[in-house]
Amino acid sequence: MFGLIGHLTSLEHAQSVASDLGYPEYADQDLDFWCSAPPQIVDHFKVVSATGQTIEGKYVESCFLPEMLANRRIKAATRKILNAMAHAQKSGINITALGGFSSIIFENFKLDQIKRVRNLDLDFKKFTTGNTHTAYVICKQVEEAAPKHGIDLADATVAVCGATGDIGSAVCRWLSERTKVRDLLLVARNQERLNNLQAELKFGRVLPMDQALPQADVVVWVASLPKGLDVDATMLKQPCLMVDGGYPKNIDTTFARPGIHVLKGGIVEHSLDIDWHIMNIVNMDVPGRQLFACFAESMLLEFEKLHTNFSWGRNQITIEKMDLIGEASVRHGFRPLLT
Amino acid sequence: MPTLEASPVMDFQSETYKDAYSRINAIVIEGEFEANDNYKSLAEHLMSDHKDELIKLAKMENRHMKGFQACGKNLSVTPDMPFAKDFFSQLHGNFQTALAEGNVVTCLLIQSLIIETFAIAAYNIYIPVADDFARKITEGVVKDEYLHLNFGEEWLKANFETAKAELEEANRANLPLVWKMLNEVEKDAAVLGMEKDALVEDFMITYGEALANIGFTSREVMKLSAQGLASA
Ligand SMILES: [Fe+2]
Ligand SMILES: [Fe+2]
Repeated sequence: MFGLIGHLTSLEHAQSVASDLGYPEYADQDLDFWCSAPPQIVDHFKVVSATGQTIEGKYVESCFLPEMLANRRIKAATRKILNAMAHAQKSGINITALGGFSSIIFENFKLDQIKRVRNLDLDFKKFTTGNTHTAYVICKQVEEAAPKHGIDLADATVAVCGATGDIGSAVCRWLSERTKVRDLLLVARNQERLNNLQAELKFGRVLPMDQALPQADVVVWVASLPKGLDVDATMLKQPCLMVDGGYPKNIDTTFARPGIHVLKGGIVEHSLDIDWHIMNIVNMDVPGRQLFACFAESMLLEFEKLHTNFSWGRNQITIEKMDLIGEASVRHGFRPLLT
Repeated sequence: MPTLEASPVMDFQSETYKDAYSRINAIVIEGEFEANDNYKSLAEHLMSDHKDELIKLAKMENRHMKGFQACGKNLSVTPDMPFAKDFFSQLHGNFQTALAEGNVVTCLLIQSLIIETFAIAAYNIYIPVADDFARKITEGVVKDEYLHLNFGEEWLKANFETAKAELEEANRANLPLVWKMLNEVEKDAAVLGMEKDALVEDFMITYGEALANIGFTSREVMKLSAQGLASA
């Protein structure tokens, strides 16, 4: 059994979903109510691999809402994630992916220091951030989508915004070692981490965002931008491929210009339909087939019986691990989203 | 990403703290006292086939009460017992009525599910903000309360088919009282560093888990555990 910990995208969204699912007790409630709401298993479904293997999964709704961060209900936000994890573990799930803001909150507020949730000791081996698969998928999206838009990677400059994060650093490692990109621009806020990353890669240049973007043929966004971004789109190259691998995905509208191709990053398509209900209420174009790569990682770990926290901690993602999860991804019928 | 605000440092000797503590401590003492009484009543009148077990639970509740009395003394606080009696009066009355009518399912829902879960939620949220003396005592107590909750769960699970309708009815009548009681102590609890949303959440999680163990579906659990919360 694998698990997914997810959440809805706004209070308004949560209210309408509760109403659609037939929970009037939850539908008319304000943020205070959601700050008190317990985690729920809202879906139980099967996934069939391209190999024919079938596994079962559960979707845990954490009742976290992004408004909790915006309104400084930080303690409530952290409780939602820990409670959802405890709920998943108590439900006997072998491996659970922390989706959306869950892994961001877990890392940012150092929830690994909290092991006890009520009468349960959390077993972190049963959880994964899914970041290895996400990083792998973003890299494949860069490699496969760039030529489609007339960009030859061997002659291209790639900017990675959020380069020092868990996913960002993995993407930089892959692009340095496994592709022929001409130049790599490392963009992030923390200068010390940037310098360390560059020393590790022995490749790429550290640049501020406003200098990096006008030089980039490909931009990979893996920073978490809760409020979107204030960038002058006219200074971008044309063509320019933008892979939006951050959470939430809010690049689309900012860069709606001719010659600028925005791709939803870290999304995979499964070759077979998944019969789940919950994905109909998250924003996917093809809900039966498209899903976040981090969610797919827990499926892959279940298919491969790798019941371990495959992606965990910061900057632990190696090329070897990306290879391993990448091979599993292909074998079980997942493809990076390319349109 | 916003940062986590540092937890406020508690001044356990301040007048504000001790004033709030006089009511919260009294509630806890009264709750343990009534729990002792309720389990003894069940042993004597309605569940004589579980007499030994229930007497054991009752004795634990008595120990808990003494532990919390010591917590009050340790901070030189006199618990406001009349306030606590009044606080529990409706739930206490409903238990007494069910006892007199021989409704064992309702009695178990009130004591073993609602009151135990209420205690578990309060103790879980209190432990991280308690003074050292009270923390040690509360940590020991909360372990026992899970056993008490489990006693009710197991009995109701074994009798789920016949108990289901009465459980739903008793939930409708009694759960709204919990939300009312939490509202009444919201301010005092906040002085002690216990936030209402965390208390409600902990209650709903533990109560929901108990209902699921007893045999309710997850949809029923969601409805039952949120009953009356909207209008509270
Ligand atoms: Fe007790
Ligand atoms: Fe008890």
